[in-house]
Amino acid sequence: MSKYIFKRILSLIPIVIIVSVLIFAMVRITPSDPVAVMMKGKKITPETRASIEAQFDLDKSYPEQYICWIRNIFKGDFGTSFHYKQPVLSLVSSRLPNTLQLVMMASLLALLIALPLGIVCAVNMNRMADRVLSLLTLIFVSAPTFLVGILLMLGFAVKLGWFPVYGAGHNFVENLHALFLPAVALALNMVALIARITRSNMIEQLNAPYAQTAIAKGVPLRKVVMGHCFKNALIPVITVTSIQFGGMIVGAVLVENVFALGGVGALLIDAIKQADYPVTQSITLMMVVVFLTINLIVDVLYAAIDPRIRLDA
Amino acid sequence: MKASDLFGHRPMFRSKKRKEGVLFTVPVILSMIVLGALIFCCVFAPFISPYTESGQDRTAIMQGPSMRHLLGTDRVGRDTLTRVFYGGRTTLISALGVVLISIIIGVPFGLISGYYGGWADTIIGRICDILLSFPSLLLAFIFVAGFGRSQLNAIIALGIVYVPMLTRLVRSLTLVEKNKTYVEALQSCGVSDFSIMFRHILRNSVSTITVQLTLDLGYAVLDLAALSFLGLGVQPPTADWGAMLEEGFTLILMQPMLSLAPGLAIVLTVIAVNIFSDGLHQYLEPIQRKMPSFKSVEARLERERSAQNECNA
Repeated sequence: MSKYIFKRILSLIPIVIIVSVLIFAMVRITPSDPVAVMMKGKKITPETRASIEAQFDLDKSYPEQYICWIRNIFKGDFGTSFHYKQPVLSLVSSRLPNTLQLVMMASLLALLIALPLGIVCAVNMNRMADRVLSLLTLIFVSAPTFLVGILLMLGFAVKLGWFPVYGAGHNFVENLHALFLPAVALALNMVALIARITRSNMIEQLNAPYAQTAIAKGVPLRKVVMGHCFKNALIPVITVTSIQFGGMIVGAVLVENVFALGGVGALLIDAIKQADYPVTQSITLMMVVVFLTINLIVDVLYAAIDPRIRLDA
Repeated sequence: MKASDLFGHRPMFRSKKRKEGVLFTVPVILSMIVLGALIFCCVFAPFISPYTESGQDRTAIMQGPSMRHLLGTDRVGRDTLTRVFYGGRTTLISALGVVLISIIIGVPFGLISGYYGGWADTIIGRICDILLSFPSLLLAFIFVAGFGRSQLNAIIALGIVYVPMLTRLVRSLTLVEKNKTYVEALQSCGVSDFSIMFRHILRNSVSTITVQLTLDLGYAVLDLAALSFLGLGVQPPTADWGAMLEEGFTLILMQPMLSLAPGLAIVLTVIAVNIFSDGLHQYLEPIQRKMPSFKSVEARLERERSAQNECNA
């Protein structure tokens, strides 16, 4: 088992290296000039420009800048933002709790709603309940997250006043209330996807010979569904959920934008618009590493559950 | 008509010839009508609407829906409905562009990767791994950061984002087709690899690819809207559903229609595309089709038997 984990981690190293090069290159070829953005378009003397470039290592060649960036990351220094003149790490860490809580709440909500929904649909396949729920999930999967957010905000925050219209709370408990609407907006999209996957896998499992045998033998349907089929249908559901979880870290950007939550995503978008190299490249790299780590954990979990996977690799 | 008939993909017209597997079921026809109407309105926007895309009417700003302006006007007095039509032009053409780019890159790579295997497969597989190690929107962000913020760059960025999934799909289809006898026969006849790949294998897998492409079209509309909403795609004053949503969002309390109208347009389009794609999938892949009930099969056999008896008599 430990050999399998070691192998998987080893295979990720070249990917992370190439990804970091790609991110670095993409950030450098941007057409806007960071020094001009920093000076807000004011005219500057060549001397000032040179001193600013020296301050942020922009005068070095690209390979030097890249090596500098990577070397500093290992020292725990992700660079200093051009715009905020603060270390990237402190910028991110002050915004991370909100984003993380939002994503956690949304995933939890999504699973709580989607799994029962998918099972109900599968058991009642092609009956009225299935049709109505399938239609609902179709609408949710087709509605952009930010539109759902806007509608929820209009309805529950502005008209009914149950939730704050925008902004996050100051601590975890306050945030449970303040982040509820954003979390629902973020979750609904995922609900649709997870429910669909659960439904189709449950249908497949219910039609599998072992389930048919159990039903024919007179095992109560509830026991067949929850005791046998659900467990077997869960593996693909976990895959999709984990991939979605990674995607949600980015999807949170949209909701953060609507509800003015000022999370990591909003920071990234502002950085892209302002050609803030250190912030853009570091946050992107962090997100990719988090995404890959989640995938790695899921893979390891699979291997722990299913010996075929770890022996095959 | 019962609601259950509406979403069960039952054939609209029952005739002897197409008892099973009909493309034009009620939901598919509905979705085609919606899509057709939308496309018609967008294409012929200049002839349908008495207003122009950026024609401002300072005497009528921020108006609600009325007979003169069916969906109201925005803060400089532009007609919202007209802008939704023009926005549809931008959005739909962009979505088509995204899918086209992903086809142009993804299909040949998938074919080569599946057909030749070996080092070509390894290299293409690794490139896909790297692109897939980003959450999809994040990859689009970083490409937009590199190329600069504009409509064309958003299209290119999303086009590239969609490539790896398509490549993997085409590759897996090619792997199945490659081992079939007809490919062996073609090879022994001395047909060139290029011709085998693009004229034979591709044609035999075109149905699955088409389903995936229609799905991608829906996702492209959503993702483009997301990019524009974040200010990374289409820039105002160009009409685009995502950009209009963003513009309207700041004025949502004064005139909700400004962001709801383009939002509704996005949802309608994506739902219609998804239903169409779903119908296509059921039509092209018989496993997905609904099995005829035992009763109807019995009745059919009975009919055939009596018909035969009549013939014999």
